[in-house]
Amino acid sequence: MKDYRQQFWLGARDLLPLISGAAPFGMIVGATGVSLGMSPEMVMGMTALFFAGSAQLAAYALIQDNAPLIIILATAMVINLRFAIYSATFAPLLGPLPKRYRFTLAYMLSDQTYGLCSMPAQMQKTAAERVWYLAGVTLTLYLTWMISVIFGIALGAGIPPSWSLEFTIPLAFLAMLVTTITSRLLLMVAVISGSCAVLFQLLPFNTGFIAAVAAGVGGGVLLPGLLKMRRASHE
Amino acid sequence: MSDTLQLWLLFFAVGLGTFLIRLSFIQLHGSAEALIARSKHILVLLPPAILAALCIPAIIFTRPLTQYQVDYFQLAAALVAILIAKFSRSVFWPVMGGMLCLWLLRFISG
Repeated sequence: MKDYRQQFWLGARDLLPLISGAAPFGMIVGATGVSLGMSPEMVMGMTALFFAGSAQLAAYALIQDNAPLIIILATAMVINLRFAIYSATFAPLLGPLPKRYRFTLAYMLSDQTYGLCSMPAQMQKTAAERVWYLAGVTLTLYLTWMISVIFGIALGAGIPPSWSLEFTIPLAFLAMLVTTITSRLLLMVAVISGSCAVLFQLLPFNTGFIAAVAAGVGGGVLLPGLLKMRRASHE
Repeated sequence: MSDTLQLWLLFFAVGLGTFLIRLSFIQLHGSAEALIARSKHILVLLPPAILAALCIPAIIFTRPLTQYQVDYFQLAAALVAILIAKFSRSVFWPVMGGMLCLWLLRFISG
């Protein structure tokens, strides 16, 4: 038991450096929600229900544009699709747990949890040690996130609109975009999707957004094959 | 139906959907590994496509988007954010740098 508790605190400690990224993001999420005119209770409820910062920022942007609820829901789901990858990664570890632990840890699954708990060093531990480590990372991040959103809400009400705080949303997405582009193919996907989003932005009900994402992914699927064919015909 | 109630319904729907996505493979443990392996190449294309579609129009044009007013200060701020994001893994510093650039440009131009 003592060893497991040690793993829990080890996980909590390993998360600490990542707080410098998560806490300010949480504050942006809290402050932006208030700046859009939502009540603090509502922003907190939204934060607790989502526990997903990028989906929450996207939902803000679409709520601001008066997009239909179904589009907002679909967009948030698509953004959160990456959690399915994390779910598959941790399925062997969390699947056998009793329901209450399985559901709780699944609800709190995050990018940071994925990053820390899929490190090569973790693979040498026993399953029980890994679960306790994961719980330490996950719970610490959850608390940090909630507290930083509360701070953001407290600050947000005092920030004048002329500061254009809402521009932090596209900037945050841009920063995330830069870090997701790890290959030339992904860069092309982003360029296609971004240009289509500009071209289609006047389409009704945010269908332009979905069309742009589809065009980007379609391009990403088709381009490698097309380029290979062209190279083959040059030879 | 009031706006607030609609938003709460939306939040609950997103919360439930997100939880189900997170739970999906953990719950199906043992029966779906092959499917995720096959769709992995599409799943990696989604993040850049989604993020680009979300941020590029909002960066180039000022709101309301219907006016197609290109905002050069926002473009400059975005360039600063891209440069910082190349060196920093966190989301915080690119956003901070971009905002400082935007505020500085607006302050100078009055």
